[in-house]
Amino acid sequence: MPIGHTIICLLVMLLLSLPAFAGDSGAGTELATTGYFRDQDTLPGSYRFYQQLPGGEAGLLGMGPSRPKLSKASFKLDAHDDVPYYGPQVRCQKCHQPQTKDLHGLRMGIRCVQCHRSQPVAGVFQYYSPLNPIRRHAYVCAKCHEGATPSFASYMVHEPNPISSEARGTFPLLYYGVWFMLILAGGVFVIFLPYTAFWWIREFIAKMAGRPDHG
Amino acid sequence: MADERTRLMRFTAVHRLWHLGLVVIFMLLSVTGIAWMYFETSWGRGLASLFGGYQGTLEVHRIAGLVMMAGFVAHIVYMLAQIDWKRFPGSLLGPDTLVFQWPDIKGFFAHLGWIFGLNKHPQFDRWSWWEKFDYWAVWWGLIIVGVTGLMLYNPVLTSDFMPGWLLNVALWIHRIEAVLAMGHIFTIHFTVENWRPSSFPYNAAMFDGRISLDEAMHEHPAWVARLEKDGRLDSALVAPPPVPLRILYFVVGYAIILLGVFLLVFAIANAALLTLF
Repeated sequence: MPIGHTIICLLVMLLLSLPAFAGDSGAGTELATTGYFRDQDTLPGSYRFYQQLPGGEAGLLGMGPSRPKLSKASFKLDAHDDVPYYGPQVRCQKCHQPQTKDLHGLRMGIRCVQCHRSQPVAGVFQYYSPLNPIRRHAYVCAKCHEGATPSFASYMVHEPNPISSEARGTFPLLYYGVWFMLILAGGVFVIFLPYTAFWWIREFIAKMAGRPDHG
Repeated sequence: MADERTRLMRFTAVHRLWHLGLVVIFMLLSVTGIAWMYFETSWGRGLASLFGGYQGTLEVHRIAGLVMMAGFVAHIVYMLAQIDWKRFPGSLLGPDTLVFQWPDIKGFFAHLGWIFGLNKHPQFDRWSWWEKFDYWAVWWGLIIVGVTGLMLYNPVLTSDFMPGWLLNVALWIHRIEAVLAMGHIFTIHFTVENWRPSSFPYNAAMFDGRISLDEAMHEHPAWVARLEKDGRLDSALVAPPPVPLRILYFVVGYAIILLGVFLLVFAIANAALLTLF
């Protein structure tokens, strides 16, 4: 009798749980993805890949991007629930203007909701957020970049202005690399543009004076 | 016919082919790269439409970049084959090689002094310091733009070997180096080689390979003196190329120059419309 009772209980529990499974899959629009994982994601020790994410072990002598300041909202299911006068009709650009000025937005015309999803917008560190770094590569990046890995997902879509002092703190390699190149390029122009101009004038003077041999 | 041999051979057919190949692929990369960078402007979209819009421009830029890197590798092999290994490393020195040497540093300062009227014009040998600078500038330019370009060619594959955030850095370095290369070619290189009063309006030496003996004695007197001393001057003299070829060199050369100036002028005029930072 106790065994029969147990079996009946298990069957009832199984039946009751079926609608719950159905409900999970019903979250379709939120979790729509190619679901393209690589084998490495399922291997033991795969956590190592996540250490390359911004704010993980930065690597390259700590020159990589550091984790941005985290607010409570980054962990909420609705990141905007504390924002006064916030509503679905408010445009993202009203507060997030700088985040629209990058390659994804400007060049490819990607809209915010295509990665951040529609209302309510979850904080990127919310456990079930598709943008949570543990699944960002597969749930968001891989929609266009087939085979995206956690390392790939550490690309900063909303990168700081590379010459700003903000970048020196949050992404030192970008800051120093870009400044190095600007000084190299600027140095070439600052030296050789005036040099060429003076050279031209010097030859012009010699020619006007009728001294052909570099007079 | 002997009086027609008024020109000195400066660049072999192979030298000129390297230059022509570099010019063609560089201009293709410039047009597609600028179209891409200026895609938010109507000018940029117009340039991109020549290649089938945004995606087509990207594809052409990527393939042209690969061709350029293949050419760079081929050039390194060619250059290694040109070295006289029996007399190495002494064969790297001397006035006929493009290796920077002490006379080039002296030549730079003497030339600077001449510009400001402090001393006489230096007597350049076969290569002046700025010709060597232009040659090696392509090397470091290609290394910087090539390595970052290859990284960006397939970002997903690249991030298997390095953190993906290096692509942020690579893209900016690629852009700045490209602006440096184009800015240098379309202003300084064009002016020094074509628009100086002594070579205005056009210097076809890189296309027909020869310069007039007068020009050689003016710009490279030490080279002419050396050829004369070695008794090689007479055999180095050649006739000018036939008129149809000279017209062709002029038309092709000026088409390229005007394309560069067009890109430069419109890039500056539209720079304020760029919203990417």
